[in-house]
Amino acid sequence: MKALRAKLPSLAFNWWLAWLVFLGLFLAGGLTAGILVFWKGLSLTNLTDLVPWGLWITIDLSSIALSAGAFSLCAGVYLIGLKRYEPVARTATFIGLTGYSMAMLSLLLDIGRPDRFWHAMVYWNKHSLLWEVTMCVCLYLTVLLFESMPIIANFEWLRKRFPKLTEKMSQVHHYAPYLAIAGLGLSCLHQSSLGAVYGVLKARPIWYKPGLSVLFMLSAIVGGIALTLFASMLASRLTPKARINDGLIERLSHFLGWLLMAYFYWRAWDTLAMTYTYQPGRTEGLHLLTSGPLAFNFWVGEMLLGIFLPMVLLLWQKTRLNPFWRMLALLMVAGGLVAYRWDTNLSGLLVVLSYMPGELGVGYTAYKPSLIEFVAGFGVISYGLLAFSLGVRYLRVVDHRFISKVHEPVEVQAVESVTA
Amino acid sequence: MSDNKISRRDFLKITAVGAAAVAGYSSIRPAIASGPTQAGPHQWVMVIDQSKCTGCEYCTMACRAHNDVPPDISWNEVFEVGELNGQKVFLPRPCMQCAEAPCVEVCPVAASYYRSDGIVMMDYDRCIGCRYCEVACPYGARSFNWKKFDGPNPAVPEWGQPEVARRPRGVPEKCAFCYQRIDRGLAAGLKPGIDPDATPACVVACPTGARIFGDINDPESNVSKLLKSTNTYRLREDLGTSPRVYYIAADPAKMKMEVSS
Repeated sequence: MKALRAKLPSLAFNWWLAWLVFLGLFLAGGLTAGILVFWKGLSLTNLTDLVPWGLWITIDLSSIALSAGAFSLCAGVYLIGLKRYEPVARTATFIGLTGYSMAMLSLLLDIGRPDRFWHAMVYWNKHSLLWEVTMCVCLYLTVLLFESMPIIANFEWLRKRFPKLTEKMSQVHHYAPYLAIAGLGLSCLHQSSLGAVYGVLKARPIWYKPGLSVLFMLSAIVGGIALTLFASMLASRLTPKARINDGLIERLSHFLGWLLMAYFYWRAWDTLAMTYTYQPGRTEGLHLLTSGPLAFNFWVGEMLLGIFLPMVLLLWQKTRLNPFWRMLALLMVAGGLVAYRWDTNLSGLLVVLSYMPGELGVGYTAYKPSLIEFVAGFGVISYGLLAFSLGVRYLRVVDHRFISKVHEPVEVQAVESVTA
Repeated sequence: MSDNKISRRDFLKITAVGAAAVAGYSSIRPAIASGPTQAGPHQWVMVIDQSKCTGCEYCTMACRAHNDVPPDISWNEVFEVGELNGQKVFLPRPCMQCAEAPCVEVCPVAASYYRSDGIVMMDYDRCIGCRYCEVACPYGARSFNWKKFDGPNPAVPEWGQPEVARRPRGVPEKCAFCYQRIDRGLAAGLKPGIDPDATPACVVACPTGARIFGDINDPESNVSKLLKSTNTYRLREDLGTSPRVYYIAADPAKMKMEVSS
């Protein structure tokens, strides 16, 4: 009887366990969907020859973009020298590792021949932006793995079992600045090139502009930092394992507010500039965004909730200091980024531009993801959530009191001020 | 950072060395993939006379049989584009075999490439199925194998016998000017555009002779003469893709003659 009672508390409802079961269900669904797709092929999706890219490419683009906090914060900490944000950069690095592996998973689903995923490494087409993106993503995933070594070394079990190995892994931290340089270079390349993947296609007038690269880059930095901050705040409210220094997050959120203003300017300018003169294909794509099936996504998801409202909430001190409004704003920024990627992809693909002689006719097509696309997509997302949850619980991913041992204050010689 | 001593100068050094290494490597590595392909002696071109096309789709069917194309895919689609003097005008669309092909430029694994005779080829064993080429092609000339094409081809044997391997599931496919007929024909001493066995199946199948095929490098070829003597146009020339398929616009006078004759 006593033994039974001792066991009882563990039988009580456990939020952590419930969360794992919840994610497990989605993971199992995703796994089943994935196996079905590999087995039966992409005919299970609602993708067509007119809309060959859909939900999965959006998940792929979004998870890469939302991982951009890793390179931007690491560059800030190790290259610009904003040392105090190092714990936030740690969180971002782990989110980056998770995000890029999510992107790999969704890509593996999306390509018709997943068994040949390695071909881009061997058969180079240097003219192809997608080749460049693939190479950069693979190299950057390696960089992220190295950057995450000291984080993974925090795993208690690993530490007890292989003390020497974890010691070595922790020492990778010495090379953080080098890794930050590599990460910055690779990320600048592929984050903007992902926009250029669309931007270089002359056949799709709404995409065909250099600004797409800039917007992809800028929105990725904004969204990536926002997701890192949101995830940190959320984790700290759900578990004592996550501890944040709210001052750091508040300052970064303020900075994010200004970044959002820049993003707002670019996106609004990008859209408004297209309203002048009729161009077949481009004008129709714009109509999809402003008054067609993507209009709600564009006006509400992207512009209002994704950019404008969070910009105000993060720049206005009163709301920024309130954790609820700040978290809401950060979450909306991340959501707005996903909406932007979805809108960009579909505003180009849903317009069918004729190639017949004479005046170019324009038609529309439609796309709605199939059930299997959703289930597999949710599987990928729940994998990401699981990885982050485990990271928070076992690797101290969100711990602003964690200070890397190797870092000592750098001695700086004060410069004498000269009075005129 | 005091115990690992990385100064700003070191950063720059490492970055410079890295950049130099990349630059050096790429200069010694021979240009592969979509780099300029040396033009061979033959440059194949197709001319389609819209006055003669009746929209019978024999070309589409012959193409399906000879290239073992599944029934839900057309490498060579025939569109009704309008009416002239009460007669329908059609536009057949094979792959344009662009000299500046967007699909070749964008392919991440160089599975799409130029042959020396200008044909835009697909290496179906290399393709990863990302469908970027489909998104990039302005002519809709590519079709993805969403599902496996199993069983007999309904176009066989009525319209001909397959001459190439069936494509697997998960790769896009497209017209390649029946390169297999050209290659085998040339090897047998035949002349593509003149001898049916060396000429693309759609050209051979056309009952009205609306398609003319040949070598633009040969001044005596049908296509060279035709392109010199007749006004032709190409699809979406504004895109700068330089298609190798030329069209002769439907001429009401010629069409009337055919009706009366």
